[in-house]
Amino acid sequence: MGPLRSMGKLLRRFAASSRESISWFMYKPEVGDIIVGRVIEVAPKRWRVEINYSHDAVLMLSSMNLPDGIQAEVRGFQHDGLHLQARSQKYGKLGRGQLLTVPSYLVKRRKQHFHHLENYGIDLILGCNGFIWVGKRVEVTDDMVVDPKSGQDGFKADKNSFSPEDQEKNYTPQQTRESVCRTANAIRVLSTLGFNITVEVIMETVDLSSSINVAIHEMLGAEFCVLVAEKEAVRRSMTKKK
Amino acid sequence: MVGLSIGEKHFIQGGIAQDIRSDGRKRLTPRPINVKTGVISQANGSARVRMGATDVIASVKAELGRPTALQPDKGKVFINVDCSPTAAPMFEGRGGEELSAELSVALRHCLLGGKSGSGAGIELSSLVVVEGKICWDLYIDGLVVSSDGNLLDALGAAIKAALSNTGIPRVNVAAGASGDEQPEVDVSDEEFLQFDTSKVPVIVTLTKVGKHYIVDATSEEESQMSSAVSISVNRQGHICGLTKRGGAGLDPSIILDMVSVAKTVSEQLINTLDSQIAAAEAGEDES
Repeated sequence: MGPLRSMGKLLRRFAASSRESISWFMYKPEVGDIIVGRVIEVAPKRWRVEINYSHDAVLMLSSMNLPDGIQAEVRGFQHDGLHLQARSQKYGKLGRGQLLTVPSYLVKRRKQHFHHLENYGIDLILGCNGFIWVGKRVEVTDDMVVDPKSGQDGFKADKNSFSPEDQEKNYTPQQTRESVCRTANAIRVLSTLGFNITVEVIMETVDLSSSINVAIHEMLGAEFCVLVAEKEAVRRSMTKKK
Repeated sequence: MVGLSIGEKHFIQGGIAQDIRSDGRKRLTPRPINVKTGVISQANGSARVRMGATDVIASVKAELGRPTALQPDKGKVFINVDCSPTAAPMFEGRGGEELSAELSVALRHCLLGGKSGSGAGIELSSLVVVEGKICWDLYIDGLVVSSDGNLLDALGAAIKAALSNTGIPRVNVAAGASGDEQPEVDVSDEEFLQFDTSKVPVIVTLTKVGKHYIVDATSEEESQMSSAVSISVNRQGHICGLTKRGGAGLDPSIILDMVSVAKTVSEQLINTLDSQIAAAEAGEDES
């Protein structure tokens, strides 16, 4: 007897294996979700993407415009699993930054999942599957659209250019990196406290931490957690009054 | 550990070069450490140590045994580590065995000293009850509950905490046994002897990524390492053991550098650990 889960109009019973027993905390995909995933297998016609779900998703090469993608939209379920699509300009490969994993129920489905925080120069993508991307701002340009073949070449050239000297030149600027780490730690704090993660709350937490001069790594400490929790309590009592 | 994308790898390496790691720490800043003692009631001593998402449990079980013929005046200590399959998907089935064996060997090197038992962090001669006939065998078991890098340091800290939590029952030996006869013993249920753990070293692992080395690496950072050196240092600042992992070679001058860095880091680690252990013991007594 495994847990029951509705998938579209289809009810399926999953085997109660060790992996499934934690599945209640796992992401339940819905059509139209914006997700962040990690490509774990490249096959000639399709990519297999890890999306924090008991099954890996499939991204068909026919379902996208970009050569490389770890950010996509749930297209639908088919007999061989979960299918993704990445047809629009806004989907694509994620550059430099870090991927965080939070419980997926903390990320609510909203109109906006892509955020560009202009004053910090960073990109923030809240994937519905609980993967959150925080990275350096990447400009979306038309010349990113290349056919898969030349994309592969570009990928290799990218790898070869990683000589130590080049690397040092290409490092993310100090300030951007600080903002990325600060934002990431704000998300970690919110996720350990179990608060809903929205761009507003993240920014408030970031501002709070910089206003009281907490060092970035101290944000994960107990004292700052208490401050964030207090702030959340104030916010909740405010919304109740209204 | 899933493979990271090129962008992420680059971000981690750049962060270490710029002295801001992914969670905002500096290269030589460890994660906060959390110690809980007495977590397993059946064991003589136990402790659970958490550093970030790394979570390990160590337990000490004492049993009466016979000393070996070669060292009649010394007790025996066995260290064994297990990786729980729930810690990471790669530990499922037999996947964790290799890592478990590696960790056990490294811990033995770092804590038990030479084959003869000299230089051990745990005073082996204090484990003898009747010379040549009865001694205590200590079984130290480590369990990796959740893995986010730096397992060896966490296990070392957990073992130190577990040992300071350990009470060895007092043994009364019945007089009158002579010759080859095994004397009769009476193990007390009430009186326990505390261990002297001031000599037990802590382990500091320095992971080399790019040109720099870092302490307390997360598993993401460990995936980018070229080599790692684990140095066990005791309270006096003496090196008790040294092991190296990873394929890449190291320049001797870097190793000397690492040793002196490990010495300073270990001082802080011993102090935090001691205060954490004291706090944990105090909390345990109250409850």
